[in-house]
Amino acid sequence: MSEAFQISPLDIQQYSLENGLRVVLNPDDRAPVVSVAVYYDVGSRNERQDRTGFAHLFEHMMFQGSENVPKAGHFQHIMKAGGTMNGTTSSERTNYYETLPADQLPLALWLESDRMRSLAVTQENLDNQREAVKEEKRLRYDNQPYGQIFDLINEMIYKNFANAHSTIGSMEHLDAASVEDVQEFFRIYYAPNNAVIVLSGSFDIEEAKRLIEKYFGDIPSQPLPPSLDVSEPKDVVTKYREWEDKHAHFPAFLFGWKIPPRRSSEFYALYLAGKILYDGDSSRLYQKLVKGEESVIQLFGFTDERRGPSSIFVGAIPKPDKDLSKIRETIMQEIESIATHGPTSEEMEKIENQLINDAIRMRQSSMARAQQLAEFALYDGDAGLINDELDALLAVKKEDIRNAVGKFLHTDNRALLDILPAGAQS
Amino acid sequence: MSAPFRQTPPEALAPVSFEIGQPIRTRFGNGLDVVIFPDDRLPLASFRLALQSGDINDPPNATGLTSAMTSMLTEGTSDHTSAQLAEKIERLGAGLSANASDDFTTIAASCLSLYSSEILQLMAEVALQPSFPEDELDLYRRNTIEHLKFQRSQPPFLANEQAARLIYGEHPYSKISPKPEDVENIDRDAIVRFHHQQMAASRAMFIAVGDVDPDAFLKELQHFFADWKQGSDALDVETQPSSRSSRSITIVDRPGSAQSNIVISNLAIKRTDPDYFPLIVMNQVLGAGASSRVFMNLREEKGYTYGAYTRLETKKLAGDFEATAEVRTAVTGDSLKEFFHEFDRIRDEKVDEVELDDAKNFLTGVFPLRAETQEGLTNLIVNQNLYGLPEDYLQTYRDNVRAVTPDDVQRVAGRYVRPDEMAIVIVGDAADVRPQVEPFAESIEIFDTDGNPK
Repeated sequence: MSEAFQISPLDIQQYSLENGLRVVLNPDDRAPVVSVAVYYDVGSRNERQDRTGFAHLFEHMMFQGSENVPKAGHFQHIMKAGGTMNGTTSSERTNYYETLPADQLPLALWLESDRMRSLAVTQENLDNQREAVKEEKRLRYDNQPYGQIFDLINEMIYKNFANAHSTIGSMEHLDAASVEDVQEFFRIYYAPNNAVIVLSGSFDIEEAKRLIEKYFGDIPSQPLPPSLDVSEPKDVVTKYREWEDKHAHFPAFLFGWKIPPRRSSEFYALYLAGKILYDGDSSRLYQKLVKGEESVIQLFGFTDERRGPSSIFVGAIPKPDKDLSKIRETIMQEIESIATHGPTSEEMEKIENQLINDAIRMRQSSMARAQQLAEFALYDGDAGLINDELDALLAVKKEDIRNAVGKFLHTDNRALLDILPAGAQS
Repeated sequence: MSAPFRQTPPEALAPVSFEIGQPIRTRFGNGLDVVIFPDDRLPLASFRLALQSGDINDPPNATGLTSAMTSMLTEGTSDHTSAQLAEKIERLGAGLSANASDDFTTIAASCLSLYSSEILQLMAEVALQPSFPEDELDLYRRNTIEHLKFQRSQPPFLANEQAARLIYGEHPYSKISPKPEDVENIDRDAIVRFHHQQMAASRAMFIAVGDVDPDAFLKELQHFFADWKQGSDALDVETQPSSRSSRSITIVDRPGSAQSNIVISNLAIKRTDPDYFPLIVMNQVLGAGASSRVFMNLREEKGYTYGAYTRLETKKLAGDFEATAEVRTAVTGDSLKEFFHEFDRIRDEKVDEVELDDAKNFLTGVFPLRAETQEGLTNLIVNQNLYGLPEDYLQTYRDNVRAVTPDDVQRVAGRYVRPDEMAIVIVGDAADVRPQVEPFAESIEIFDTDGNPK
């Protein structure tokens, strides 16, 4: 069907300001809204060994005011303009974004430029946000059953500290951080030449260019941040670990494999192998384990897409009294079956339709477009790659999937985390 | 000192207008209401087949029957097994699922518009010809029971379970999930009878939003649904939520908790209440967002929490107001103090015009953002139609928000934020929490995570 179904490419313009800020414009008038995404090339992978969690703490500080925007003013200005906003931190980058009614574009540029050029870092705000971050850690990790398992398995998969340590980081490190540390981090990483800004939605191109120059043009560039080595040995570091989860009522396990970087042909093939294994009710593992053997309460899997070595996970929460080793055997048998025979033609047809559906759905949302464009611009230096992504995925052949699964998803390259329930039993 | 243009927020550009048109509405001879809203922005389509009955319409002594019947719709039909259905749907790259909420039962599908006919046929098949295979029902029962056990490890579930019980009393909204023994007791005969009775065209509505040709689509819809039996209207739920006269504290003891999950609530309004607009504006001022009062206080000033909010749950027959935060255990009592301070303040002091305008500007400004994607637009249209809101509801929404005055806000705060009768629920370590919260109510009850009094 791909011959009959053409997706029109996104309209993209890209250029850089003199200070090095990379700009991507994606005009699209389908809805009267505009999204602005600013991506800084700093994530937990850039952190020092004694300052883990710093990239994320810093994301909080970016909402604490700048020369012309008071503390919490960012939230207030965006919301009273009818907008939504947030920021997130990953291993790869820190992003800030807002979606607004289209006429409020200048507000977004004013706010983003003011914090890029003049963030206000005070002891009081730092103390306050350290507390907010500690509550975020308690909420998402410490107080959640299975909340810490992905941080634990990353330490088993990756050897390189840049890749292995968690984004939420150590609370002791955050406590040790001073206002001067935060200011230094800002100077090194929050420079225009270390960032990308994307506009997607309803706007006039010339007006947008003029406004971006007005608000961002005079922010000085900085020396480039120190270079980073994210290289990894071929196989995972630790193959097996048991961990007691004090909030879990059921045992669970998690497999993790180390795989090649995003956008490599092998990564694409493994991403599609994942879809075949665990994505949807017709997937192999759902049909085998949730139906068939009826042995698991929950089955999940996903790929963690990074610029450097990446990973793929499959996990399950088995029903009580089910034999965990049998479930693991079933998973490995399906993987081996793909490594031997490859996917079926029916599976390839399903993937094709799902990829086309996903690609068109992504195009509906100015924020989804802005975020993907920002990633391609920041990681690959070319936002236009968004228009090649679907074709690259559709070009993956059965044999590519078979070969990649055989090469990477084997037990030498596999971390297994066994989660033992220590929570109150019902 | 920065340049003058940086010192104050910039003016907005020329406004870009946003209008939602009216859908095409019709009713089939059997009573099926049909709403079609063409949306050709992208080659996509979204469909909903919804019934005016949900979990609250479970027959007496059959809690969970609506959910079971609904979940089983996609687990086998006269023509396809469960696995074949999943395969057919996903082979089209589409989604099709059936879900029951308190008030409604909905079969939802989305697809590339070129597969509209195939998906429509599958929707009709799962709605009208489910076979309810015994082995799939058996699996449903066992999986649901495990899932019910699993959710007892989740603090938000434990808090909401108690809050609903305390606020709604004997009303079916008081049950947010069935008990394992309820699920155990569901048998195939009951599901078949219930499906026969519930799946009636006169209670149903078909809503289509997407890149479809309305005339051709109506013809197709007629082909699949015009012969569907009319049936009878859904039965009303007669029970009223119980009224409360005092403040209470319920602690769900979860030893070793790193935080206290706080839910404070009282009854408020149903979705069609005339106070809806003043109340959503009041809620925006008080706690709906990251610039609202409780967030500014508990997170930005005090650093007690990652997030503190208030929320309105407005259902078909009733609704509630609730405040929530997850706070570190040591400041549980201090957090209650700040929440009650904010409740008193919004009741006692008139909101100033600037703060009110900010709240109203958010609600009117964010409205077009909600219609940006087809799923978002579909949700707006579905809610307007299922709750029976006026036909011009989406067109007049922003004017209704703008009309709210400071007096309106104070009036509805006084009426629907009632500190003296709030149910306070805290999931956390009871030994640490109890001494902190004792001053806030005359009675304290403690439950375990199984939902039993301790």
